[in-house]
Amino acid sequence: MYSFQYRKAKSLAEAGEVLAKDDEAKPLSGGMTLIPTLKQRLAQPTQLVDIAGLPELAGIDNKNGVLTIGAATRHADVATSKAVQDAIPALACLAAGIGDPQVRNRGTLGGSVANNDPAADYPAAVLALNAKVITTKREIAAADFFQGMFTTALEPGELIVKIAFPLPKAAAYCKFPHPASGYAMAGVFIAQTGDGVRVAVTGAGASGVFRWAEAEQALAKGISAAAIEKLTLAADDINEDIHGTREYRAQLVKVVATRAAAALSGKK
Amino acid sequence: MDTHHSHLFEVGGAKLARLEDLRLIKGEGCYAADWALPNQAHAAFLRSDRAHARILSVNTAAARKAKGVLAVLTGEDAVKAGYVKPLSMLTFAGKDGKKASIPERPVLAHGRVRFVGDLVAMVIAETALQAQDATELIEVDYQDLPAVVSPRATLEPGAPQLHDNVPGNLCFEQEAGDAAAVEAAFAKAAHVTKLRLDVTRVAPNPMEPRACAVAFDTASGKFTVHSPVQGINMMRMQLAAYTGVADDKIEVVARDVGGGFGQRSIGYPEYVALMLGAKTLGRPVKWVSSRSEGFLSDSHGRANYIDGELALDKDGTFLGMRIDWIADLGAYLHPAGPVSPMRNPVTCLNGVYKTQALYGRWRVALTNTAPVSAYRGAARPEIAFAIERLVDEAAAQMKIDPAEIRRRNFIPTDAFPYKTPTGSVYDIADFHGVLDKAMKLADVTGFPQRRAESEKRGMIRGLGFSTVIENSGAGMFPKDEIRLEVHADGNITAYSVSHSQGQGHETTFAQIIGDGLGIPAERIKLRQGIGEQGLIGNHTGGSRTIVGAGTVCHIAAKKLVEVATPLAAEQLGVEPSQVAYAGGEFKSTASNKKISLGELAAKKPLVVTGEGKFGSTFPNGCHVAEIEIDPKTGVTEVTSYVTVDDCGTVINHTIVEGQMHGAVAQGWGQIFGENIVYDETGQMLTGSFMDYTMPKAGWIKDITIAEHTTFGTISPLGVKGMGESGCTASLAALTNAMMNALRPLGVPPLDMPLTAHKVWQAITAAKKGK
Repeated sequence: MYSFQYRKAKSLAEAGEVLAKDDEAKPLSGGMTLIPTLKQRLAQPTQLVDIAGLPELAGIDNKNGVLTIGAATRHADVATSKAVQDAIPALACLAAGIGDPQVRNRGTLGGSVANNDPAADYPAAVLALNAKVITTKREIAAADFFQGMFTTALEPGELIVKIAFPLPKAAAYCKFPHPASGYAMAGVFIAQTGDGVRVAVTGAGASGVFRWAEAEQALAKGISAAAIEKLTLAADDINEDIHGTREYRAQLVKVVATRAAAALSGKK
Repeated sequence: MDTHHSHLFEVGGAKLARLEDLRLIKGEGCYAADWALPNQAHAAFLRSDRAHARILSVNTAAARKAKGVLAVLTGEDAVKAGYVKPLSMLTFAGKDGKKASIPERPVLAHGRVRFVGDLVAMVIAETALQAQDATELIEVDYQDLPAVVSPRATLEPGAPQLHDNVPGNLCFEQEAGDAAAVEAAFAKAAHVTKLRLDVTRVAPNPMEPRACAVAFDTASGKFTVHSPVQGINMMRMQLAAYTGVADDKIEVVARDVGGGFGQRSIGYPEYVALMLGAKTLGRPVKWVSSRSEGFLSDSHGRANYIDGELALDKDGTFLGMRIDWIADLGAYLHPAGPVSPMRNPVTCLNGVYKTQALYGRWRVALTNTAPVSAYRGAARPEIAFAIERLVDEAAAQMKIDPAEIRRRNFIPTDAFPYKTPTGSVYDIADFHGVLDKAMKLADVTGFPQRRAESEKRGMIRGLGFSTVIENSGAGMFPKDEIRLEVHADGNITAYSVSHSQGQGHETTFAQIIGDGLGIPAERIKLRQGIGEQGLIGNHTGGSRTIVGAGTVCHIAAKKLVEVATPLAAEQLGVEPSQVAYAGGEFKSTASNKKISLGELAAKKPLVVTGEGKFGSTFPNGCHVAEIEIDPKTGVTEVTSYVTVDDCGTVINHTIVEGQMHGAVAQGWGQIFGENIVYDETGQMLTGSFMDYTMPKAGWIKDITIAEHTTFGTISPLGVKGMGESGCTASLAALTNAMMNALRPLGVPPLDMPLTAHKVWQAITAAKKGK
């Protein structure tokens, strides 16, 4: 790790100012990606602006059919929040399955979404639930937010404040974790929304999280495992590495989608 | 000395909880990184980022000027110091009487780098961070050379050459057995089974990273080296050989060690470079490895690439076995690295069977990869894997029940001591009894029903086992010593060279000594890694400790009573023959007077040193694994795992269970996930826990551990050792279970690791093929 200045921001405005003035400064939330990157000397920020404790980024609120979660909310808090469990149990379940207890007690919703790791869990929920990412500057629709591996619509100095999830009628998330890292090799979030069924896939896409149109069409006629089992996900745009060929990942997407659909339809 | 022990170990209790655990759980352990020497400086290493290259120049000017930097050492300094030749224990002659070609390895690379992670320079600074920062200011001008990472390709003509004195990248070649007899056996065979039996390269990954702090005393010329060890003498011997410094000018000090698995038994070039640094600077120098450095440069394990053939008659009797074995040792030879694959497989080449015709060829190959050395079992798991996979495949091919084919070929229980075709003498065992007990505990008769039930759920079930034997290490030091020092309060300090890396010596040694003296184990405190005691003894490795140092604990306890009896008699004013010892007290048989060990020690120092030398024993066992595969994902669950071992007398069941849990988990790791992968250019693709699958808690849900013991004849305690048998048996048991499940689908034998991905691909391919 290179040395850097640590700065605990007192307000979101202060954090924004520091980050705007210093291109080499980085915001620090849970640090679950940033700290390992620093330890491997792969990044050399001038300063880390700690935003994890800011009151503007805290809080979970269920109002008018929208569940809003502050960006600095830790995975463990999402997982155990009564409000989340009541409003979108699949989201609480997703949070409960991220990483390990250490990660869940440090890592935050905003940090995960801003990082847009192609194997992270939250992007699938944000996209499937058609959530809005509310930043220090604007509101960004999920479809516009994720722009490829580790790439988002966020501009330099722009911070996620909270994420607003419209409540679905029902939703389910299922993933296949990599045995070493625990990251999703395939994760599928199915949401029955007012605008129809939305299926978002993480962990497998060569360009990060994506919607699986064929699955959405198949499930529009009724949620069932059988509807997914008939499909074949084209492997062309699927990621491939030493842990799995694109064909294997495409198969895993199908398997976890089937399980999520089965859970939604109430049949195992 | 009494050799019958029906009353042995009643003192400690067969399930005494580990005495060290409270201390360690409370954070009172002292590991290598915990040492803080007065005025110490900190080192960081610049490592090669390429697998094979000529070093054209190393410019350290900027690094030397960096803040806090005290010194920068390079290969030139290593060569100037003469620190270029590690010890080699591969001293015996091979094929045609030819000795090994041993490559040099300057402790900092000179002229050439040969693997990613090879040491190029060492920076010493006031802080570790300053040292790390300064390594990036060193400019190295490389000329890349072609690299070779495949152990088979490296022996082919035209392969890139690693060392000028190792033509063809072949360090050593040996044969064992009787080639002509095997030829004849295969000629008359009714059936021959051939298999490729590669045992892949893994990273030992002990929880505690490597670390070392070295002090040099200019006045006396003495080095003090604090590092994790498996035994201080083994470490000192290697450091002395590498540096040419006399043995008595190096003191190795170690306290707690967080996992070893063979990785701790090496006098690494980093440690020697730190010695050079401490001497150059006149200040203690400390280095703590990162996990990333560990993956690249800690010794790797296994990496043995084997082809095997088994010849059988029409009834499934084994007529002969032939193996061709390439041991990939990486870019340089660790001192004992090549010895294990050359020695241990020969010692137990027949396994538990009465196969008469055996032949093998072994080659030690070099590749542009991290050096390899002993890893829990040290080629014993590999030969057991080769034999037990051949036996299982042969049984399947000949449609003979796998238990039955083993029974037909076991060395009979009444045939011990049994001299094997390669000259070993198995002293005592009961392979039939071990197998029968394991089959019963695993409910093998209920398996078809469980398999049918799995099938109903769309799952594929398999059951497999292995029946194995291994040689415990004889040790390379002339004897093992244990020193007992009695204190005035009656407590006893025991000193040992054999060093626990987690095995629980503080408990088992205390139990044996306590039993010998008739006092509670809690009153004996074990101290290990105290160089100034000057004891002779072996390091902990090769499952030998309980046989060597453990037995000597018993001998030392008896000696203490012998030595103390006349002293007690003097105090009691009677003849020694009139003194009886029991429970820590000497009593006069002539009067009611008595004196305790502590009271004696209060009068004058009461210290004894017990010693003994014990050769190899032959622990053996049968493991039964049952697995279930989800064909949709290839994910395997080990649904049950049974071990029945003959490790001789059991000192402490809790510790035996713990050792078995760990070793079986390591076997699980190797079969289902762990694998060091290099790409063609020699870059490591699995250099972190993000990509390298270590077994995790809960992945093996249910292990049943039982014993079926015979009283070993090597140690008067009847012990045989058991630290490694879990690895030795589990590689084959798990693979046999997997192939038992997959074979009916038409899946051919698969190479480890059997990842979900690989299993799914194999099932998918088999379905397409049908």
